[in-house]
Amino acid sequence: MKGVTSTLTDSQLVQRCRAGDPDAWNELVERFSRYVYAICIQGFRLREQDAEDVFQEVFTRVYSRLDTLRDDAAVRPWIAQLTRRLCLDTLASSARVQPSEEVQALDREQTLEEIDEAFSVREAMTSLSESCQEVLDRFFARDESYRTISAELEIPAGTIASRISRCLVQLRERLEGRKDESGPSRE
Amino acid sequence: MVARSSRESWKEAAGVGAQAKALIERVSPLVRADAEAWENALAHLEAASPEAGEEQDRELEEKLEGAAAVPVAIAEAAADAAFLAELAADRGDGTYRADAAVAAVLAAAAARAACHLVAVNLGVREDDPRLTRARACVDAAANAAARALDAAT
Repeated sequence: MKGVTSTLTDSQLVQRCRAGDPDAWNELVERFSRYVYAICIQGFRLREQDAEDVFQEVFTRVYSRLDTLRDDAAVRPWIAQLTRRLCLDTLASSARVQPSEEVQALDREQTLEEIDEAFSVREAMTSLSESCQEVLDRFFARDESYRTISAELEIPAGTIASRISRCLVQLRERLEGRKDESGPSRE
Repeated sequence: MVARSSRESWKEAAGVGAQAKALIERVSPLVRADAEAWENALAHLEAASPEAGEEQDRELEEKLEGAAAVPVAIAEAAADAAFLAELAADRGDGTYRADAAVAAVLAAAAARAACHLVAVNLGVREDDPRLTRARACVDAAANAAARALDAAT
């Protein structure tokens, strides 16, 4: 079962971490672990072992330097920045920088933007009702047909497209709300 | 197109557009997979000798199974497209509702074509659940198309 901390905003979660709440620290790691891994593996194509090292180092630094974060709501871009730096350090130290570095850097930027966008969507999804999360996940992530969704959730097939559209409207509103709230990292 | 043109007057239009895009992405690889699965099955059928053993028969059955699975998925996606087009014909911008109705009719035709491919597959019997499923998609798509035409009239 999810704890109380899972419903907190990033900003509230950081405040709890600062106050020394161990559950909040667990939630922080859980909330951002996939994000950090995605940057390491998809963005920088680190080896599994290197990614694990970066992962540990990122959260060690988050733990020890959280007080230097000036804007609690900007914890995600801050963690992203830390991860990027550590990934670059890892690549440099293992001399795996390739000749076509510029092209790779462009690809990497695009991948990192996609990871960031995917994470924002995932985060915003958690603020929707469970029924919305379920129907969006089934249609867009699991590629289920309206007929299958209808049978599984026991709702008329003819209303599913409309339900999904309404949920997408809500999702967009949440995402736009988040964009307005978040700003650049001010470490 | 209908959803894109209806954004001013219909709040959910973008959501319908996103679903249409997802369906296109889902169907595009199925079209190629359908052709490949069928060619594969056909090659096995032509290569089968009259004295074929059980193993060869089983292999052929597997290939035919694969060739039947893809059009079932296409029929499902076509039914979804018909539902989506019905929604656009009902709530989209008035200027474009007729286009949405036509899209629903075309989707219903696609479901029917896909179902036919399932029905003529040598590995599919009359009581095969895949055929039942494909036929249900045809009915659902045809009903959605009929409602779309009504809505756009």
